[in-house]
Amino acid sequence: MSSRKTISRLAAVGGLSTAVILAATACGAGGPAASGGSSDSINVLVEAGGHAELTAVAEKCKQETGVSANFVELPYDGLFNRLSSEFSSGSVSFDVAALDSVWLPNFKDAVQPLDELFTDDVKKDIFPSLVKEANVDGHFIGMPAWTNAEIILYRKDLFENAQNKADFKTKYGYDLAAPTTWKQYQDISEFFTKDGMYGTDVKGAVETEWLAHVLQAGSPMVLDANNNVVIDNAAHKEALDFYVSMTKSAPPGAAQVDWAAAQNLFNQGKTAMTRFWAHAYRQIPKDSPVYGKVGTAAMIGGSAGVAGVPGPWYLSVPKASKNAENAKKFIKCAYDHNDLGIQSSLGLASRISAFEKYQDQPGYESFKPLIATLNAPATATRPATTKWQQIVDTVLVPTLQKAVAGGDTTALLSEAKKKVQDLIK
Amino acid sequence: MRIPDRRFALFLMTPAAVFLAVFVAYPLIRLITDSFYKISPNVGGTREFIGVANYVEAFGSEAFTNAGWRTLAYTTIVVTLEFTLGLGMALLFTMLGKRSQIWRTAFLYPLMIAPIVAGLLWKFLMIDNFGLIGTLLYQAGILQNPNQIGWLSNPDIVLFSVAIPDIWLTTSFMCLVLFAGLQNIPGDLIEAARLDGAKAPALLFRIILPLLRPVIAVALVVRGIDAARAFDTILIQTNGGPDSASETMSLLIYRTMIRFGDPGLASAMGTIYLLAMLGIAFFAVATIWRPGTDT
Repeated sequence: MSSRKTISRLAAVGGLSTAVILAATACGAGGPAASGGSSDSINVLVEAGGHAELTAVAEKCKQETGVSANFVELPYDGLFNRLSSEFSSGSVSFDVAALDSVWLPNFKDAVQPLDELFTDDVKKDIFPSLVKEANVDGHFIGMPAWTNAEIILYRKDLFENAQNKADFKTKYGYDLAAPTTWKQYQDISEFFTKDGMYGTDVKGAVETEWLAHVLQAGSPMVLDANNNVVIDNAAHKEALDFYVSMTKSAPPGAAQVDWAAAQNLFNQGKTAMTRFWAHAYRQIPKDSPVYGKVGTAAMIGGSAGVAGVPGPWYLSVPKASKNAENAKKFIKCAYDHNDLGIQSSLGLASRISAFEKYQDQPGYESFKPLIATLNAPATATRPATTKWQQIVDTVLVPTLQKAVAGGDTTALLSEAKKKVQDLIK
Repeated sequence: MRIPDRRFALFLMTPAAVFLAVFVAYPLIRLITDSFYKISPNVGGTREFIGVANYVEAFGSEAFTNAGWRTLAYTTIVVTLEFTLGLGMALLFTMLGKRSQIWRTAFLYPLMIAPIVAGLLWKFLMIDNFGLIGTLLYQAGILQNPNQIGWLSNPDIVLFSVAIPDIWLTTSFMCLVLFAGLQNIPGDLIEAARLDGAKAPALLFRIILPLLRPVIAVALVVRGIDAARAFDTILIQTNGGPDSASETMSLLIYRTMIRFGDPGLASAMGTIYLLAMLGIAFFAVATIWRPGTDT
C-alpha cells in the first residue's frame, strides 16, 4: 500500500516537473541570445563565405574601435530563414547582417538607413550599379561588403597552342584569342568541342548567366523600370537563343548543370572556356589539371556591349538592434579595411580601390576583367521585387531547362511572361 | 492515502500528454490557423484573415497538383520496389535459417546511413559527365557513351533516379519487419500444407501472405508515409529539378515557406497534405489489416 502511494506521488511529481520543463522550453529558454545591448560586442550574422571575408576585418576593427564581433554563421537558406523569422518577430539576435542583394527588397523595412556612411567619396569608390541597388526608397540600407560578377575563364594553354591557333585561323578567318563577342564565343566553343572535350558549359539550373546575356542584348532583366514584364521581348529571345545554341558545344545534361557542376567541369579540364564568377579563378585547386593554365577576360558583349549581373552582399543594421552605434562603427570599419577580404578564401571586395590595389599582382589576374565587367554601362543588378526568388525558381529556371532541352523559345517566353505577371500582380 | 486506479492512470499519462500537447497539438493548431491568413514575410508581420483563399490558391496552382501526383508516383515506385525486394529477401533469409545471420547483418547496413550521405553518394554515382554508373555501363558495353542516360537531368526518368537511394536505404527495413513477421508463422501450418501437396506459389499466396497481413499493413503504412515525406535525398540530388520534375510535396511546401516567404500558403498546403496522408493511412489500415476479420 505504501509503495503504491509512493509511486503515485512520484508519478504526480514527474508529471508536474515535465510540464514545467516543457513549458519553460516552449517559452524560449535556450533560444538565441538577444542582440548585444550597449556592450562593445556585436553579433554579426553571415553566410560561410562572408565569415571568411570578414574575419580579418573584425580583428582590425577590434584594435581600432574596440568593437568586437561575434560571428553567427549559417548556410545560405538557413540565413534567409533566420532573418525573415527574426525580422517578423521584431526581436533580433544580431546587430549586423550580411544580406544577399536579392533579399534587400524583402527586408528593406526592417533595417536602418545608413545614409551618413555614404559620403561622396564612398559613392565614388563603389561600383555604380551597387550604389544604385543599395539605395532602396531613397535611403541607403546596406553597405556593399564584397561583390562578384561573371567573367570569362579560358584555357590559356589551349588558346596559345600554335596548332590550335593555325587551325582556328584557317577555319574562322580570324585569330584565336579570348572572346569578346557572342559570335566569337560560339566559334571558339565549337572549335574546342572535340576529342572528349567541350568548348564551354551551358548552365540550365541557374538563371544569372542568361540574364547577363539579356543585358548584353540591351534590355532590362524580366521587369522594366515600371514593373512591366518584358521577358518576351526580342532581347530576351535573342539571349535565350544564343544561350541554347551553345548546348551543342557543351557537356550533356545541361538542364541540371549549376554553378558547382560548371566549376567542376572547368577545373577537371573538360571545358575550354566558362562564364563564371570571378572568385573561381583563385579557387582553382593546385592539383587540378588546369592549375596555372587559365586566362581571364571580361564578360563577353552583345549589341549593348559588355554586361554582367553583380552578385554583391550588403552589411545592414536591423532597426531592432540595441547596439546600432557599434554596429555602424563596424560597418564603417569594414568599408575602411575592405581590401582585407581579398586575402580570404573567397577573395573578394566591394571597393574599386581595393580591387585596383591587387589587380596587377600575380595571382589576381581575375580582378581587371571583374572591374571592367562591373563598370560596364550595361551592367545592372536584379530587379528589386520581393517576388524575385519565386520568379527565379518557378519561372526562369524551368524556362531555361525546357529551352536547353529543345523547347520552342518564343512559346516558352510568352508562357513565362504570363507566369511572371501572375506572380507580381 | 489511496488513489483510484483511474486517477493513477491519469498521472502516468500526464508527461506524455503534456509532451504531445506542446510539441504536436500546439504546432498543429498553429499550422491550421496560419493557413487561413495572408502572412507578410516582411517586418511587422501583418496577418490578414483571408478565409479559405490559401486553399483555393493551392488547389488552383499547377505546381501543387503536379507535386501531389508526383509524390504519389514516387511513393508507389519506392514502396512497391521495397516491398517486393524486401519480401524476397525475407523469404530467402527464412529459408536459409541460421545460415542467414551474417547476410542479415550485412543487408541491414544501408539502414544505418544518413539519408543526406546516401543522397550525396548516389548523386556522385549518377551525375552527368562524371557519374560512375554511366561509365561502368559504358565499359560493360551496355551504353554507347557514358552520358547516354541523363539520370538526374532527364525530366522523364529523374523521379525514378532520385528514388533509388531511398530504395537502397530502406529495403532492409521492409525486409527486417517482414522477416520478423515470417518467424511467427507456425512451422506446422506450412508443414501441413506441404503434406496436402501445396506448391510454393500456393504456399506464398494462400498461407504466408494472408498470415502476414497485419505485418504487411504496418510495414506499408509506415514506409508509405515515410516515402511520401521524402525530402532530404531529393534535395541533395536534384533540389526538385530539372523543371520541377522531382519536386515532391515536402519540397514544394519547404520552398513556398522558406524561399518564397509565404507561410500562409505553405500552411494551407501542409494542412491538405496532412489530411490526405491521414486519409490514405486510415484506408490502408482498414483494407489491408482488416482488424478483427482474419487475424
